[in-house]
Amino acid sequence: MSQGHKRFHINEQELLCKNGCGFYGNPAWQGFCSKCWREEYQKAKNAQLQIDEQNKMMKQKTPVGAEGKAPSFSKFEEKKKRESDKRTHTVKSLFRKSSSKDIAAEQVAKREAMKRLSSESQQVGEGFADFLRNLSKPAALDVSKHIRALIEKIQQNPDVTVDEHSEIIQDFYQSMGDRLQTHPVYKGLTHTTSDKLMDYMEKYIMTRLYRAVFCSMWSDDEEQDLIIQKRIRSLHWVSEQNLEASISVNEPSVRALVDSAITDIIEMDSKRAPQDKLASVVRCSNHIFEALKASQNNEPASADDFLPALIYIVLQANPPRLQSNIKYITRFSNPSRLMSGEAGYYFTNLCCVVAFIENLNAESLNMTPEEFEGYMSGKLVPRDSKEGHICEGLRLMYQNLANLSELRQRHEKVMAEAMQLQQEIVEFKENFKKEIQSVLTKNPWTIKPRKTKVDLDAESPATDMLPPPLIPQIVGEPMVVQHDQSNANSTDMTTEPHVTVTDTAVEE
Amino acid sequence: MSAAGGGGGRNHNFKVVLLGEGCVGKTSLVLRYVENKFNDKHLTTLQASFLDKKLNIGGKRVHLAIWDTAGQERFHALGPIYYRDSNGAILVYDITDEDSFQKVKNWVKELRKMLGQDICLCIAGNKTDLEKDRHVPVADAEEYAASVGAKHFHTSAKLNRGIEEMFLDVSKRMLDKAGDENPRNSVGGGGRQSTSRKNVVIVDDDAQQHQSSGGGCCSSG
Repeated sequence: MSQGHKRFHINEQELLCKNGCGFYGNPAWQGFCSKCWREEYQKAKNAQLQIDEQNKMMKQKTPVGAEGKAPSFSKFEEKKKRESDKRTHTVKSLFRKSSSKDIAAEQVAKREAMKRLSSESQQVGEGFADFLRNLSKPAALDVSKHIRALIEKIQQNPDVTVDEHSEIIQDFYQSMGDRLQTHPVYKGLTHTTSDKLMDYMEKYIMTRLYRAVFCSMWSDDEEQDLIIQKRIRSLHWVSEQNLEASISVNEPSVRALVDSAITDIIEMDSKRAPQDKLASVVRCSNHIFEALKASQNNEPASADDFLPALIYIVLQANPPRLQSNIKYITRFSNPSRLMSGEAGYYFTNLCCVVAFIENLNAESLNMTPEEFEGYMSGKLVPRDSKEGHICEGLRLMYQNLANLSELRQRHEKVMAEAMQLQQEIVEFKENFKKEIQSVLTKNPWTIKPRKTKVDLDAESPATDMLPPPLIPQIVGEPMVVQHDQSNANSTDMTTEPHVTVTDTAVEE
Repeated sequence: MSAAGGGGGRNHNFKVVLLGEGCVGKTSLVLRYVENKFNDKHLTTLQASFLDKKLNIGGKRVHLAIWDTAGQERFHALGPIYYRDSNGAILVYDITDEDSFQKVKNWVKELRKMLGQDICLCIAGNKTDLEKDRHVPVADAEEYAASVGAKHFHTSAKLNRGIEEMFLDVSKRMLDKAGDENPRNSVGGGGRQSTSRKNVVIVDDDAQQHQSSGGGCCSSG
């Protein structure tokens, strides 16, 4: 302890200015005092200026000027320009039907890059291949042929607009759907298998093409994402009460469900295939329904409850690239999925939420325009900020406090019961004693000394005084013995009469 | 979409939206229809906003997807997102509430404007068990329904009255409409159809081209 203290001790010498001018120095000025530091700094600055000057001279010799300010941005601009140049170029070349060699080479390189599939594509591809193995060979060949043609087609024309891509893929779904029903190769497929096949195709194609078509260069999706993201951020103060969503957010069990719903909707961005994205939306919705059910006496929630709750979840989650994801699903999902079915319904609700958030005003939150403006500009703080919007840490603390108080109650209960048990034990002991006492007074018992067992075979000093044991002797004629033996055969007591005979013989 | 137009042995998938002000009993109506329960604690469904019902009408398998919509006034503007592409709409009002009937009129106007005659409309005067508090005259409601080409039904979710009939009627009308449209669709009326056809040819071309180059790959794989 004392050693540690010593180590931190600084003597006055160290506190003084490095220059030795007698004033105190400061670590922020690298140990100089303010005056010396200024001088030192000026010196360094001058030196730097000189070096810069020299550099500039050097650069002027070389034509490429680095306009330092925002290199990354200018680079991005350049890239965009280059891409668009190339686009016009390729479009022209398509018309001319004569592609120059370096463009072809570029395309080959691009295709090579595409061929190095991402792990997601590989996984989906394996699943798809397994599925195809169960189909008849010509059907599987036909499917893979068409899919390869489609992917090639899209990858060879990366510069068409995303709407054209969407058109191509939607047409593919439609033509494949028709083909599955009419083409002889697919005869004998059940409806469920062909539906599954369509799903697999969609999943595989969209996973492969995800990078090419999601949030494409040729759309304003990215800007839209930023707009909605900013909008949601500015609406952070909207509470579930403002929306009249009947979720009791501060209930720990409900909170857990709300958190998982938020996670689900955020997760949507990380999925690639449209159906996986939709599955995230469905999961999110189911969590919301569970939360609603837990908040209001187990009644199934209707759309009147669900939509406000979903708005609340989206406002809380601020899902990344929301617009891009919605547009992607609308453009590239199999339309039958969005037309009917649960996923379509929840997705439609999500679209409604985005539309609602975009057009949200004072009226839609049942407040005066002044109030709304106040909240938006940050002048007003939500009045229920204490119980409504608590930060994660506070919420955890409250939850822990609640847990602790519950624990304390349980502990007290255990203690009380233990005390009672102890008392009961004492009482029992007393009663037991009393009873014994009463029984003893009724029948007084004298306790006799315990009887000791007598071991007859034990060697004791008394045995010495006994006469020695008798030794049997054979006396008299064998006839008598024989007679005796026949006697012995009839009875069990063979030896005794015999012994008596001999005894008498001895005595004689 | 493809399934709805498929005809024949395929299922007919129909989307039906439920429209109406809050508290007119949309949810009870649909729960009564799908689960045959009213204010029951033992409902198996977690939610009552999206429900499925399978029907068999004259040997045709019909799959109804019933979409509930949020009835609050502030969500009114979102209506078009909900009823886009729907085959039928059930407009519910509360017979004890004049305003809710006015709302139905607004919805009808909007639906006819946005979707024309493609959508089958049904108007349901709900809560007929509260007949004594009726504020919307029967004659008015029926006359109005007839004037806009909608069927009017008197329903009560509590007493399970008129609901089955209403859904059956709307399903039948949607089937008729689908039957009417099927031949026209397959001839290829829309521009979309023709573009897709053009593209189908291209896909086939590419595929054949590809077959020569990719055939080896397939056989080796």
